[in-house]
Amino acid sequence: MSDRGDDAGADVHDHVRTELVRFVRELRRSGAAVPANAGTTAARSIAEIGLEDRSRVRTALRASLLTDSGDFEVFDRLFEIFWRRLTAGSQDGRPSAPIDDGLEPALDSPDAPDPDDNGENASGDPEDGDRVTGRSLAESFAAAVSDAAEVGGSGAATALYSPSGSAETVDGRLPTDSSGLATPFRDLTRALGQLQGRRFQSGTDRADIRRALRASVSTGGTVLSVPKRDRRRTAVRAVLLVDVSRSVLDTVDRGFLIEFLRRARRDWRDARVFFFDEALREVTDSLDAESATTAFEALEAAEAAWGGGTRIGRSFEQLRETAPETVDRRTVVFVVSDGLERGDIDVLERGLSWIDRRAERVLWLNPLATAPSYEPTARGMATAVPYLDGLFPFAGPDDVAELARQLRQHGASRRIGYEFDARSNRQTTTRTTNQP
Amino acid sequence: MTDEPPATFADLTESDVRSALEAEDYVAEDEIVTTLLLALRLGKPLLIEGEPGAGKTELAKVLASSLGSELMRLQCYEGLTAEHALYEWNYTKQLLAVQSGDDPESSVFAEEYLLERPLLRALRSDDDRPPVLLIDEVDRADDEFEALLLEVLSDFQVSVPELGTISADRPPIVIVTSNQTRALSDALKRRCLYLYVEPPSLEKETAILRRKVPQLDDTVAADLCAIAARLREEPLRKPPGAAETIDWARAIASLRDDGDGALEPKTIRNTLGCLLKAGEDVKRVDDALMTELLEAAERAGGEA
Repeated sequence: MSDRGDDAGADVHDHVRTELVRFVRELRRSGAAVPANAGTTAARSIAEIGLEDRSRVRTALRASLLTDSGDFEVFDRLFEIFWRRLTAGSQDGRPSAPIDDGLEPALDSPDAPDPDDNGENASGDPEDGDRVTGRSLAESFAAAVSDAAEVGGSGAATALYSPSGSAETVDGRLPTDSSGLATPFRDLTRALGQLQGRRFQSGTDRADIRRALRASVSTGGTVLSVPKRDRRRTAVRAVLLVDVSRSVLDTVDRGFLIEFLRRARRDWRDARVFFFDEALREVTDSLDAESATTAFEALEAAEAAWGGGTRIGRSFEQLRETAPETVDRRTVVFVVSDGLERGDIDVLERGLSWIDRRAERVLWLNPLATAPSYEPTARGMATAVPYLDGLFPFAGPDDVAELARQLRQHGASRRIGYEFDARSNRQTTTRTTNQP
Repeated sequence: MTDEPPATFADLTESDVRSALEAEDYVAEDEIVTTLLLALRLGKPLLIEGEPGAGKTELAKVLASSLGSELMRLQCYEGLTAEHALYEWNYTKQLLAVQSGDDPESSVFAEEYLLERPLLRALRSDDDRPPVLLIDEVDRADDEFEALLLEVLSDFQVSVPELGTISADRPPIVIVTSNQTRALSDALKRRCLYLYVEPPSLEKETAILRRKVPQLDDTVAADLCAIAARLREEPLRKPPGAAETIDWARAIASLRDDGDGALEPKTIRNTLGCLLKAGEDVKRVDDALMTELLEAAERAGGEA
């Protein structure tokens, strides 16, 4: 403690300072959020704490440099190197090569949530080209077969792939008439935005006494007019998790899906879109592209690269690991998926319970739920239902309109979901089908 | 530590902090102690993040009582505004002053019409010890509110447009906590030291129970912690934090007057309400899970 100084880092040896600067730079390069002034704070911390004890230095630097518990892992890895160089007093110029190699992907696209994910993407895409198309056909066939085999025989299979299967929509063109979604989507936006916040703004609802009094000071204490205020409406913030496995893409009208996602990006305050099948990746940026075609290409690419089965639970887990900040208590989470989970059900349950705890609400849009006799009997779907605020069909603008209607009328208080669909007399149907 | 009011914390050592926390029955790892010491010595606010019930708020309380300082607490919530956090004019008093028209020269925007709210009060405290300012669950407040905090956190001052800048003679010790329900702004984070409180390990939780619920015997305490740890592995709506385990241990202790015998499944089930706070979670504990819980307790007992 004797080496403590008043001036920031004045007592810190030159060598230490150099290493510290290098450490901070490496941290930033590997994607850790290190504030601009953190280096100075770190130097001061070291001056306070001394350099004798490794774990104390580690703690001090962690407290000074990091702002996010997600960066701890990277920190610990780089700290080892920092400490080795510091204690060895090595001045060998460049940081060792392996670090640089490992960090390169993160450097290329700082926005990507997960370097690994990114790397996979990069290595999978360019070299494949032709091969991918050939493979994806075979793969999707295999996937379709195993899907059927998994659900097979349980009676649910018929409901799952039933009437609305509309397999003819598989070719990837936009529907000529995308305006059909405009009104339902506007209704949905309005319904979601209707949830009132607690914060007040000028409005028409209630008298704002405080402002009235304050204004009256300038008129000698006479209240001339009473300003009004009301609760501010919460803007819509959403995360859309879209299943792009073959089983979903065969069922849902892709033009409709892309249109829905693009409108969400455009009209909502904040919407982040993730595609998942075996793994999760963010596609928010490609949806912002000028044309729907670009967005389509992203969808196509996603399918070409994987297009196999679905690991919903693992994808949720990945979301939690790579971008936990996307889901907070102001977000509405939409999951677009058929719920045909091929991974571990426990993982799905864990992932969903995390989302359910954090999000304002969780709505599951299932392209298979359009059939009047649909019941969530598929393994994954049945597990998911208890954690959802509502399960809705998702095949066309009508379904969006129905979702908006239910949210508007009962959103805050009552149960909502496919069971209460006004268009069909589902509740009666359900009851009769349940009877042997 | 409470013997003499420290002018600064320059002479504070790690063992001082450790013994102070221990005196208040707060079980802290080295990491917490070192970070806390740094926050005191550098005079920087400390941002503590972690799961609910990990002991974030408690740390601030313990710090205040061990320093013998006043704890000023600002509980954040959605819609919290400057009028509730910083200062407010006493409009009624101003109004009366204007209407009575005693002294036309004097302004009604003067010190005597100013109502202090927690942040301003912490800055203007004239105690001989710097107060501990706890800004609790800052993630509950709106993004816009964070901006209000920036001036306070970096310069320990508040600008009142009508009066000028009010700055602290003796900066308060600032603790900011967050449950990570949303990401905080970089500007806020930049001004603070950062501490992530891990959910307590089995050993730490047992040590906490030994401190907080001394009337419970050690083997039962270990059993309870093992059960709580096992429960946290389930996909629960609301996983129990350390605070819930303490409540639960107190409940069990008060039911076990005789103070001997093993834990009965019936007792566990009847007191689950202390630990699980969602209907679905309580329902999840069926006979099979109960057996697993008891097995976990047994394993812990075997190891102890």
